[in-house]
Amino acid sequence: MLGRRILQFFLIFALGLFGLMGVKYGLGLSDYVIPGPGEIITTSRAVAHDYFFDTLNTLMVAVIGQAISIFMAFFVGITARKSTWAGTLIKAAAYNIQAYPIVAVAPIIFILLGDGFTSRLLIAAMICYFPLLLSVIGIMAEPVTDMEHFYIATGRMRWQLEVKIRAFENIGKLTTVIAGSSTLAMAGTIVAEFIAANQGIGHSIRIALYQSDLSRILTALFLIGLFLSIYQEILEGVGKRLTSGWILPKGVESEDL
Amino acid sequence: MKTSNRLAPILVIALTLVSLTWQTADCGETLNYRLKWLFNTSVVGDLYAQDFGFFQRAGLTVNVKAGGPERDAIRELELGHATFGVASADQVIRARAKGAPVVVIAQLFQVNPLQWIYRGVKPAINTPSDLKGRILGVTFGGNDETIMRTLMARASLTEKDVTLFSVRYDYTPFYQDRVDIWPCYRNAQGIMLADKLGQAGEAVRFFNPADHGITFVANSVVTSAKTLERNPEMVQAFAKALISGWEASLMPENRDKALAVLRKYNRDTPEELRQKQLDATRPLVLPESGARVGTIDLKGWKQTETIMLEQGLISKPVHVEKALFPGGKPL
Repeated sequence: MLGRRILQFFLIFALGLFGLMGVKYGLGLSDYVIPGPGEIITTSRAVAHDYFFDTLNTLMVAVIGQAISIFMAFFVGITARKSTWAGTLIKAAAYNIQAYPIVAVAPIIFILLGDGFTSRLLIAAMICYFPLLLSVIGIMAEPVTDMEHFYIATGRMRWQLEVKIRAFENIGKLTTVIAGSSTLAMAGTIVAEFIAANQGIGHSIRIALYQSDLSRILTALFLIGLFLSIYQEILEGVGKRLTSGWILPKGVESEDL
Repeated sequence: MKTSNRLAPILVIALTLVSLTWQTADCGETLNYRLKWLFNTSVVGDLYAQDFGFFQRAGLTVNVKAGGPERDAIRELELGHATFGVASADQVIRARAKGAPVVVIAQLFQVNPLQWIYRGVKPAINTPSDLKGRILGVTFGGNDETIMRTLMARASLTEKDVTLFSVRYDYTPFYQDRVDIWPCYRNAQGIMLADKLGQAGEAVRFFNPADHGITFVANSVVTSAKTLERNPEMVQAFAKALISGWEASLMPENRDKALAVLRKYNRDTPEELRQKQLDATRPLVLPESGARVGTIDLKGWKQTETIMLEQGLISKPVHVEKALFPGGKPL
């Protein structure tokens, strides 16, 4: 059975297509501006195989990039959670780096690292990382006074315990943010491929743009949306299991709460 | 509440349609002229015509707008965002193949400026067969890829005989000598690349596909068939003013004025390079036969269509001659 996110995606994509067709036929535009349903289907069939593997390639880079950005966000977020001099410096550095648009920095990355896997990965991680960092800092910097007070009073508080308590209390928020950040990782990878890489669906979209082929672009968008929905569905599923395994007593489902 | 939710998408579509229709109607007053690329030497005549009142004297108010990699003048014509535009022949043929009612009223470049630059120390490329074993820069999906693949086909070369290197806006791979030949506009980037390598003591050569029988028409002025049909006098007036502007901009006695225009719109290029670029533009735009600037090379257009058919970029002939209206008049 299709998951909620996948169904939602099909619905939104279909609405978008109907909207495009409405504009096309309403204004009497040619297939060059907006392709007709026949052309979209023919083109989709022709490129589906190649685009499927291109999207898979992009998704793989996005998943690894997201994993790196999660690690970075937690590392910086945990280190910078205290209002110490070092914590403030790390926070300031993390914010300042993000102030540069990745699209402007990307060409430098490509010059230094080439146009292969590493560059795509780095750009995906950079785009995905900042929103994650904000959430992690927000969560980690907020004391759970009720619980932490006990450990502080008894002299048993360690930084690992502090992090665990705060993560435990906000596990729902964290999993939602992580699932949501997958969109950014995918977008980051596509941007990187669009700018300079020679692989992935972003590269294919760029070629289609050069050839003014909107049918191909629509096919690519469909596959990107589909793959992303499936990935998010998986992430949310994992999140639910983690939540119920960590928080809920045996036999209680998260939906019951 | 539920009804308003249902109405929301309909409202969005309706508003989009209204805004697009409104933009179509609006272009009656100021004529938007969308260029293919950013302001540089390749558009000197367009800017000259605007700045020295050629359009004004023809009774037209024209807004010359810069193009760019994501701009498509033909789409803008159809959507009513522009009345005139600049597009390459492959764009026109592709659009016609998909039913876009676009017509060509002038051909700006008589020689395609798209050529390949390579280092002088490398063995000369005298025939397409000399490409064998080299690393060739191409923009995948771009018209330089089409031209290169045609050259390879003519020389019976396959992808196994060469290495195709994906080209972007960054010239580093060429500077680092990781690519043997690099596509560029002969009169714009070609001058800049030659200058940079010259500073490092390296001479360059250019490989021009036209020298090997490949005529692939470049930038041309386009408008929509509807505009031509409804207002042929306006189209003819525009074409005449534009061509006059181009001719004036390339006259040696107007060189300083043309350079002043380029200085105004393209401040980032050093003056010395601008001068070289302008001098390199002249032979690409002025027809050898002595005919007027803007002359449409019918044979070249037909060959461009043949090449696109051969490369599978269009599935059936479009009879491009039907889209050619030199100066806004039937061929």
